[in-house]
Amino acid sequence: MTAVALTQRTARFRPARALRLEIKHSAVVWVLPVLAALFYFNAYRRAAGFPPTWTVRASVITGSNLIFFSVIAAGIAAWVATREGRRKTGDLLATTARAAWARQATVLAATAFWMVLAYLAGVAVIYLRTALQATWGGPPLWPVAVGVVGVAASCAVGFTCGTLFPGRFTAPVVAVTVFVAWFIGVAAANSVNNFTDVRNAKGTAALFVSTDGGRPQVDAGVYYRVPPDVSIAQVMFMGGVLLVMVGLLALLPAARVPGVRGLSFARRRWLTVVAAAGVACGVAASVTAFALAGTARFSAAAGWEIPALHDAADDQPVPYTLDCTGGTFTVCIHPAFEPYLGAMDAALQPAAAEIAGLPGAPVRADMITGAALPAVAGTTSVYDYSTEYEDYGGASFWATPAMARTADWEQGMQQGFITWFVSGPAEQDSASPTPAQEAVAIALLAKIGAPVPQYPQFSQPGTQSGTSSMSSGPGGSATQSTASAAQITAAARGLESLSPAARRAWLTANITALRSGAVTLTQLP
Amino acid sequence: MNIELTDVTRTFGRNKAVDGVSLAAGPGVFGLLGPNGAGKTSLLRMLATVLPPSSGTVRLLDRDPGKPAARTEIRRRLGYLPQNLGYYPSFTVAEFVEYFALLKEMPAHQVPKAVAAAVERVDLGPRAKARLRTLSGGMLRRVGIAQAIVNGPDLLLLDEPTAGLDPEQRVAFRALIRDLGQHATVVVSTHLVEDVGTACSEVALMAEGKVVFRGTPGELAAQGEGHEVGDSPLERGYSAVLAASRKQVAA
Repeated sequence: MTAVALTQRTARFRPARALRLEIKHSAVVWVLPVLAALFYFNAYRRAAGFPPTWTVRASVITGSNLIFFSVIAAGIAAWVATREGRRKTGDLLATTARAAWARQATVLAATAFWMVLAYLAGVAVIYLRTALQATWGGPPLWPVAVGVVGVAASCAVGFTCGTLFPGRFTAPVVAVTVFVAWFIGVAAANSVNNFTDVRNAKGTAALFVSTDGGRPQVDAGVYYRVPPDVSIAQVMFMGGVLLVMVGLLALLPAARVPGVRGLSFARRRWLTVVAAAGVACGVAASVTAFALAGTARFSAAAGWEIPALHDAADDQPVPYTLDCTGGTFTVCIHPAFEPYLGAMDAALQPAAAEIAGLPGAPVRADMITGAALPAVAGTTSVYDYSTEYEDYGGASFWATPAMARTADWEQGMQQGFITWFVSGPAEQDSASPTPAQEAVAIALLAKIGAPVPQYPQFSQPGTQSGTSSMSSGPGGSATQSTASAAQITAAARGLESLSPAARRAWLTANITALRSGAVTLTQLP
Repeated sequence: MNIELTDVTRTFGRNKAVDGVSLAAGPGVFGLLGPNGAGKTSLLRMLATVLPPSSGTVRLLDRDPGKPAARTEIRRRLGYLPQNLGYYPSFTVAEFVEYFALLKEMPAHQVPKAVAAAVERVDLGPRAKARLRTLSGGMLRRVGIAQAIVNGPDLLLLDEPTAGLDPEQRVAFRALIRDLGQHATVVVSTHLVEDVGTACSEVALMAEGKVVFRGTPGELAAQGEGHEVGDSPLERGYSAVLAASRKQVAA
């Protein structure tokens, strides 16, 4: 080639061709089976066990799925970053015209490409399954954005660490460090090591939780939209980290002449300026996001809100039309839970039949948002679907619709329903039935085959009856306030031993007084 | 001149690897001889723009490699084969050569043809799609040569290029660098004086970081007249120059 021809060469580098080669030979390909296995056991099965509502299912992709993807992304990126050292190609690559930062950016991009692709594939699987089961709503996209930026930022963190500290232990150390950081972050988010207690978390903790906080309420995003506030802060924070890491790659001398730290030739000034500006912008974005997250507050209706980012339009209830079934007693639930309607109806009809015709007995049960309901001590509320799910834990609880129809689940619904009814308005507000109300509830539940609810004195032997209701109830007495489980059970047996007609007659005559708290344990037949 | 070194020094801590070397070379094949630790590789790395000099001036292809834009242009026109060739085992021969063609910022449309030509020139055409992990040491060396020449360099730096090549390949390689030397400056650092004798038009011998001899292979051979160490005239010349250099240092 002549010198003239050579001087006419122009830099028409095609990053796509180099990227294609890096993608083809990326080390991430080798860990895809591991990622698939982790996804299946750690994310997919968990999501599949959740009710088929979009927000609840999406919580997995910014929760456990993002955590293990981040750990692996950081580790594998650190490993890839040490490639030039491991393969002893540093000298050879240093003589090429392409700037080291651009070359490394290509390698980082290939790593991030595979990791993000794998992450999105996982999201697609979860969303596809949800789409096949969900009866209401659509896929939330903010969690996907959070996950994508999170995975990319993890890749950048790992890659930068691998470039800064090339060594055989860098990758595992980075992976473990990222895992510990997540663990500490999530623990901090929950104030204590309780992943469900996000309501107690404050401020910046919001950065570490999924869209509506750890394990979401089952009706999150159903009655109210989940505001994107936290997601925006998370994208800002992790995007800032990504920018800082990429900027550092361009700034670090070690990144340009492998093996010859601090002895590199003079760098291009514009590159230094641009990289420094990138780092500054990244720091600003992350610090701003951190500060914004510090102002976050938890809203029972819609999850975390950040005032500066909050759109009041998100506070408006989402319109819906209830799905109903039943005859004399109608059961209605939100269309998002339509697959549960049959199970709900089957659970409530026997309990409703026991109290049908009594003064004040309900003829219809409507599902409303769990956040609007007071809890009744020792029971699950009929209407509070979220409490239903959380209290059950385990497989039968976080189950598909078919799995949800278990004896425990049905009995829990019946316990809540009967206890809610006999407690009456005063005790529903105070969330604690009187001993007489408990005894009547136990007797009624026994007739439909449901076990004794977990009232305080039954779940903790020796505990006396709830005292808060006693002070408010007109019939309160010392004897009533100190009733034991044995006394309540004996009273329940007495009512239970009556003939159906006699029991019915007693209930008809006394249910109003009982519900107002005016009946004591000794007044039961 | 494609290479102009003026009083170039390179130190690593207290060790002076290259000590006041001045050289100039135009198109042709330039042999760099010397014992282990003489400073050949350090000098070659400076020529390859991997290392900046500690002092002195370096001009390559009429440019100052200390300036970023000029250095980039030099690197576009540079070919380098390091002593220990690092490689990525999962790459095929063609992909590895293509990778370096891209990093050397060759015009994209020229890359496929240039890759094929470079692979053919080192006689690896039939193995172009073989993964590097499956190749022998000699074949890997040829892959290294292919990546060095893929961009048709004006300045080609080869550190021990014939190590691991069989005799037939070495003959072919000498023919190749003679051909490349028609238009480019080819610097061959080697221990094998027979490579120098048959391929190089000019030779420099380094010892203790200094150039202790510079001339044609014939002139180097002439230095060995009457010297007994060595099997060939060039080897005797090589030994004689080194012995004289050591005496001078000792004195």
